[in-house]
Amino acid sequence: MHILDTAKVQICLALATVLLLPFVLNSGILATEILIYAMVVAACNLLLGYTGLLSFGQGIFFGLGTYVAGVLTTRWAVPIPLVLLVAVVLGGLVATAVGWFSIRRQGVYFVMLTLAFAQMFYFLAYTFSDITGGDNGLLGVPRPQIMGHVLDGPWGYYSFVAIFFLVIFAVLLVVTRSTFGRTLLAIRENEGRAAAIGFPVRLFKIEAFAISGAITALGGALHALLIGIAPLESINYHTSEMILVMTIIGGSTSLFGSVMGAGFYLLLSDTLSVIWPRWLLLLGLVLVTVALFFQRGLWGLVERGWDAFAERRKGPQKEAGDV
Amino acid sequence: MITRRKFLATSALASGALAMPGLSGQVLAQDKAITLAVPVPISGAFAANGKYAVIGAQLAADEIAAAKGIKINTLDLDTEGKPATAVRKVQDAAEQDGARLFAGGILSSVSLAMGKEAERAGGVFMTTAGADEITGKDCNSATFRWSVPTYGAINETVRPLIDMLPDAKKWYTITPQYVFGEGLLSAAKDVFKEKGIDHVGNSYHSLSEREFSGYLTNAMAAQPDVLLLLNFGSQSSATLRQAISFGMKQRMTIVIAWASGLEQFEELGADTCEGVYFGAQYWHEADAPANKALVKAVQEKYGYNPNYSLAGSYIISKLLLEAAVEAGSTDGPAVAKALAGKKYDGLTGPEEVRAADHQVLKDYYLLKGKSKADMKDKDDYAEIIHSGQSFLDPQAAGCTMPS
Repeated sequence: MHILDTAKVQICLALATVLLLPFVLNSGILATEILIYAMVVAACNLLLGYTGLLSFGQGIFFGLGTYVAGVLTTRWAVPIPLVLLVAVVLGGLVATAVGWFSIRRQGVYFVMLTLAFAQMFYFLAYTFSDITGGDNGLLGVPRPQIMGHVLDGPWGYYSFVAIFFLVIFAVLLVVTRSTFGRTLLAIRENEGRAAAIGFPVRLFKIEAFAISGAITALGGALHALLIGIAPLESINYHTSEMILVMTIIGGSTSLFGSVMGAGFYLLLSDTLSVIWPRWLLLLGLVLVTVALFFQRGLWGLVERGWDAFAERRKGPQKEAGDV
Repeated sequence: MITRRKFLATSALASGALAMPGLSGQVLAQDKAITLAVPVPISGAFAANGKYAVIGAQLAADEIAAAKGIKINTLDLDTEGKPATAVRKVQDAAEQDGARLFAGGILSSVSLAMGKEAERAGGVFMTTAGADEITGKDCNSATFRWSVPTYGAINETVRPLIDMLPDAKKWYTITPQYVFGEGLLSAAKDVFKEKGIDHVGNSYHSLSEREFSGYLTNAMAAQPDVLLLLNFGSQSSATLRQAISFGMKQRMTIVIAWASGLEQFEELGADTCEGVYFGAQYWHEADAPANKALVKAVQEKYGYNPNYSLAGSYIISKLLLEAAVEAGSTDGPAVAKALAGKKYDGLTGPEEVRAADHQVLKDYYLLKGKSKADMKDKDDYAEIIHSGQSFLDPQAAGCTMPS
């Protein structure tokens, strides 16, 4: 394992991100959005990077989370902690169901099944407009309160989300470094061999799906609380696509790579969209470059940079020792 | 509200500390520049509309700045046509730039979300978006709308056409299946019922539909006298093109109830538009002094005629800025108070901002596409054959304005 991939370094990097974002970004909303997507992308990484499952279904769980927050807060004024709990549980349950069906097939058929589910859930949300608000979405989702104070300022809500981000990041670190996580890696590397050893491969994949879905739904609910709406676009196939693009750009071999992927994508889109209306072309170029030359994503670049730095430091020391 | 600086100070003392209440928004002094935020889709599928909207807002800002001797900064916010992005940009503009005046929207779902956010941020938001809910059940104290809702669009297109075409008794509708389409269809059905029209059929299609031949085949099978298209934008253009290729223009009258005007005519071309009826919020040939002044200004500065995106953005920006000057503040409630009930010479003639639901009462146009030979200039695609105002009262529209 690379020295930067150790749990201690990874959690320190996550903590540093939380503490540094307010110093480098003027927008608390953008900083909060980065943390929320970092969580969601890390959950996608559990599937893509650790289990080898390319799922187009992440938008389903994200959208589900936003609608849970939208419906429960605007219709029944359910307390926010309970809303977030329901989002996690429902996200996990729906992901289990989607995973149970999709994991029956492998490769391109698995991808197509998740894509089909993504379209199906989008049209369900679009059709049942009495519940979801249809194309208009649900408006007026309130911000949470802490000790009677509404977190209506962007940096106050940032603190709230930062706690969730750090907890989820730590949980994912524990999961990926547990026996369960190592088994997922074994399944990714050689599914047939893992099955032959006796691992219940399908069950492991479904569990990974459930964990990923629960975290993604939590991200969706936190996002709805951030922007005050539950829009139809949150459950759109494009949300899944965006999450996947962030995961691939960040690099699917490290959890902190997901944080980098989310930050890179959101900052790039925020900066470029006002400069050039066709900024998505540039994003396409970035993806092509990553796919061709940097398959380990931004995280791979960091590792390479670190290795080069360590090598340079080691070189003179060695020479000094020789003398 | 916690500011960034406060957050930094707090987190330095205790990292991860939770929020504390603080000070809220700021009021711009009269001697300082007024900021007009223009949240429109600058990138994405609706970037063309956003481009003209930005020009319209800048034109209004320059005009008011020169007339009132004040400094006005416009702040373009790219919504990308997405509600979530739009809300984030509005929040940022309010928090970081102290923006309180927001003129834009274009898309209904985006505008509804921004209206709520403007209210929350203590600002005021004016839009040209179409959803009935904006000044209907989701109306709020900070949101104003210039464009005519679905009820008026149908009553100023379908009703006069029924009178003009007394032999056309059978109508067929094609409707996008979502809230906006349902609003148009419901209003059309009410008019059909009242006028004794035989509604021989309706085809629903999804928001992502691009191919309409199946719906058009059903429509032809029903043998209507009039085909009423209730979709809009690229979908109505695609439906019209496919209907013409099926030879339907020769067999029946075709009406697009909610067209986007010059932008759409340029895209379709005169041959396609000829003989087709279009409902429109704005037409550059409208005989109104304010419109003539705008056309002159745009011609002088850019060398073309204003389209709906430009004109709509111009008028809502102008109204917001004038109200801010009148109120002596950009504070949302003060500007809203100055806007509510305002009567003025608008782009469609005399217009009024109805105080009860913040809906502007203005004309809606019924246009008929001209043949190429009859066009006086390259933009003279259509003639106005009817204009008028039809609005539900605020209670019937579902607006209960929060006090």
